Amino acid sequence: MPTPPTRRQFLARAAILAAAAPTFGAFLAACSKSGPASSGPSLTLAAPDNPIKWPIADDNKPIADGLAPEKGATLKIYNYADYLSPQAVKAFEDKYQTKIEISTFNDGDEAITKLRSGVDFDIYNANYTEISRLVTGGLLRPLNHSYIPDIKNVWPSFTNPWYDQEWRYSVPYTIYTTGIGWRTDQVPADIGALKNPYDSLWDPQYKGKTAIIDDFHTAMAMVLLKQGITDVNTSSEADLKMVGEQLQALVKATSPKVTITMYSDLPAGQMSLAQMWSGDIINAQSYLPEGTGPEILRYWFPSDGKGLVDNDMLVTLRGGKNPVLAHLFINHMLNPEVAKENFSAIGYQPPQNTITPDSLVQEEFIPENLRSAIVKPEYFDTGYRLLELDAANETAWRNVWQAFQAGGS
Amino acid sequence: MAVPVVTAPPRQAPPDRERRNRLWAVLAAPGILWLAAFFLFPLYVVLCIVFGQIDPLFRTPIPVWNPLQWDATQFTYVLSHIVGENGVYGPAILRTFIYVLVASALCLLIAFPVSYYVARLSGKRKGLLLALLIAPFWISYMMRMFAWVNLLQDDGLFNKVLSLGGFFTPDVKWLTGQPVVVILGLVYGYVPYMILPLYAGLDRLSQPMLEASRDLGADRLSSFWRVTLPLCRPTMVAALLLTCLPMLGDYFTNDMLSASPKTTMVGNLINDGVQAPGQTGQAGAFVMLVFLIALLPMLYYLRSVTRGSEVSS
Amino acid sequence: MRGPVAWWNNPWRPPRFLIAITVGYLLWSLLPVLIAVLYSFNAGRSRTTWQGFSTRWYWGDQTLSVWHNDALHTALLQTLKLGLITTLITVPLGTLFAIGIDRWRGRLPNGANFLMLLSFVLPEVLLAVALLFVITTVAVPIDLGTTAQVVGLVTFQVSYPAVLVRARLATIGPQYEEAAMDLGASPLGALRRIIVPMLMPAIFASTVLVFADVIDDFVLVRYLSGDASTEPVSVKIYNTARAAPTPALNALATLLLAAALAAVVIGFLIYRYMTRSDTTTRDRGIGAFAGEV
Repeated sequence: MPTPPTRRQFLARAAILAAAAPTFGAFLAACSKSGPASSGPSLTLAAPDNPIKWPIADDNKPIADGLAPEKGATLKIYNYADYLSPQAVKAFEDKYQTKIEISTFNDGDEAITKLRSGVDFDIYNANYTEISRLVTGGLLRPLNHSYIPDIKNVWPSFTNPWYDQEWRYSVPYTIYTTGIGWRTDQVPADIGALKNPYDSLWDPQYKGKTAIIDDFHTAMAMVLLKQGITDVNTSSEADLKMVGEQLQALVKATSPKVTITMYSDLPAGQMSLAQMWSGDIINAQSYLPEGTGPEILRYWFPSDGKGLVDNDMLVTLRGGKNPVLAHLFINHMLNPEVAKENFSAIGYQPPQNTITPDSLVQEEFIPENLRSAIVKPEYFDTGYRLLELDAANETAWRNVWQAFQAGGS
Repeated sequence: MAVPVVTAPPRQAPPDRERRNRLWAVLAAPGILWLAAFFLFPLYVVLCIVFGQIDPLFRTPIPVWNPLQWDATQFTYVLSHIVGENGVYGPAILRTFIYVLVASALCLLIAFPVSYYVARLSGKRKGLLLALLIAPFWISYMMRMFAWVNLLQDDGLFNKVLSLGGFFTPDVKWLTGQPVVVILGLVYGYVPYMILPLYAGLDRLSQPMLEASRDLGADRLSSFWRVTLPLCRPTMVAALLLTCLPMLGDYFTNDMLSASPKTTMVGNLINDGVQAPGQTGQAGAFVMLVFLIALLPMLYYLRSVTRGSEVSS
Repeated sequence: MRGPVAWWNNPWRPPRFLIAITVGYLLWSLLPVLIAVLYSFNAGRSRTTWQGFSTRWYWGDQTLSVWHNDALHTALLQTLKLGLITTLITVPLGTLFAIGIDRWRGRLPNGANFLMLLSFVLPEVLLAVALLFVITTVAVPIDLGTTAQVVGLVTFQVSYPAVLVRARLATIGPQYEEAAMDLGASPLGALRRIIVPMLMPAIFASTVLVFADVIDDFVLVRYLSGDASTEPVSVKIYNTARAAPTPALNALATLLLAAALAAVVIGFLIYRYMTRSDTTTRDRGIGAFAGEV
């Protein structure tokens, strides 16, 4: 049996530990990975009435003109799952004799964590609720427009969007609305004809068959719209409290699934009625089992455009090793043929000039029962956008969401 | 008369044993260093993040290394939101306990008869049965869960069987927020982990002792209750710990089989919070809580085991 | 003619009830997997409706089958890579650790033993989150990716060989070693020439078990993965299962299952060969191989 330490030994050891602790702390502090210094007291947040032109840092200039694409490289794209047409990818691989590797993420937070830890992706599918953090954090590489002539094919407003004036860092990828989708064989009621269609998600007759989108901002904004509050980026404490209560009521009433895979779950029958993105319901057509036709799918979005409307964008990353290929890929996706093929593969509409709502229905690209899922340019004038929130507000929003996700009793 | 007090000479390990002790120390050193660097140190980093700061712009965690500068706001936020009027996490934690207890009990109810049979009564087929029992270990856990997702879908086999070949349509969505499905999923996933140690322990029981009790007149039930079970107790406790504790951190069973806030477990709270800006510290606090909850049974178990071995030696 | 009471009291009757439970359990345990394997041979895209037999998901389909899909290749390769590297590091580390801890007297080894047991039962997500924190906030020369995954896996698995070897050491007892040292061997020599060969079954068993456990691991490798090239099969299944899977995923999992099965069968046969003359394991068969806690 080992002898217990004598008092002298104990005191000696304690003294050593006490002396070592601060030095240990200082040692670790020196070893800490320090991220980029926060510039200024708060992030500059963009809004439609507050357009931002992002600065280009001196050590982060765009690449030079006329460079040749990298040879034998692997272009790394970081994107949502099933959000890029395999055919478009293959076409690019063949054209430039390169390989493309697609990594997927489930939500923006997970993506930014990986980006900040230094994984060297080339292209990232971003949303403008992240762009301030991405630019200020030094994660993005500014674009050299000479590689991207096909920008002329997209809606003119996107060459000078409010979230990235002079499109210094981003190009638009898809446009979409957020509404409600359902299948008529399991939900016979016409949800769109209800006085307040959002209310249907709280209707106990659909208990266990509903879903909402797994994003705190999108889901909570829907609750605000349901109650008639149009400021979907509110910082009002009373409003947030109300949202929390409504979400608790939601769990009690219908116990929804919280996911972003509506495009495959609704056709598979895991849910009958869900908050969905417009692209999801269009995409759902390809996931229907054999014997079920697309005529059972329906989508509702306010006809006056007063609902959630957004767009995704592609950005190039500073840590990427293939900047020229990245530019060329972005240009490739802006090509009208490629964009149209991508549309048919992923269901999300690109803001291309050649794709209008009438042409889509005329060419029978979109069935008549899903006409409401087509995004019209007018929506962007009247619709509400989910903007990037400032730190304090986002904390408050996320706390409400976390309480909801913890499930209530 | 004064009794001379003789103090024992200071203990000195004989030189031979000292050398051997050093040999064992050298052999164990790489393992100890590895565990210290990659197990203890990361746990300390978790503490530094929970009691650390948050970057005001990006809301990423900033660990604070010096314990004297630790800031308990995030930890107290989590603690204060467990019970009381702000008790948002309480239900999830309670639910985890309930799920784990029920699932462990079910595991034991299933695993014990099976391992008892295979260990003691299967005779010639022991090898084959054991191979079949071990098979789930080498089938990917993901694939086993994935197989159940297929079966429980709207048009899956389960509903087909339930509807008795089309007589009626079961109107339940099995994969949306059904606690029963999550619990059964946990049982399905973890029961092999319980069967193996139970099998090993039951294998070692002495048959003569059991036969003796029958010879002395006890009937089947009484013999089982008063002889077999008490002998199996240490094995059952070990098997329970081996299954219960890892279950506390499970999040992907709920993710794959339910994805609804109604069945959220502590593992989901950790997983959701770790990468959300501003909530990493809270996730770390949950990690600490689960660690403490797992630590106590382990300590108790070890004390009872070492005390037992001290008595026997 | 024996009555029902006599039948009930007969101590040698076959335990039909237990047999029923065992068979029922085996069916419940293995049937879903067999069905999943079956659907990997489905001719159509569905994973729930049988549409005919075909091997298109293995090598037939030009873009989506396992043979033609680069992403699935990479996943398979990453799984095997992680399995091999982790096993090669874990087994020696754990074995030496176990031998040292078993003989060394003192507080430090007791503490280390407790730490090792703790790493055995702690939920994996704790270790994964802790290591993620370390890599993202401390400037260690490890990045998210294969290195980080190997480090996490070794830490999580090192208790497996340690526990198995210790159990085996307890069974062997000190007499062989003492006999060797009486005959003049040094402690290290006794270790090398007597004990380690006797430990080979436990070492071998732990190798196979660690390998099988690592290729199945999910939580650690997901948290510590970098880009898609470092995502093994388990993460691919998880990612794709939540989106829109095709039977190619079933095919991938079936292939992995076949690989694991082959590894175990080969391992068991080698084990049988190696211990054909070892009296301490004779009666325990697969039990000794499977490792007893």
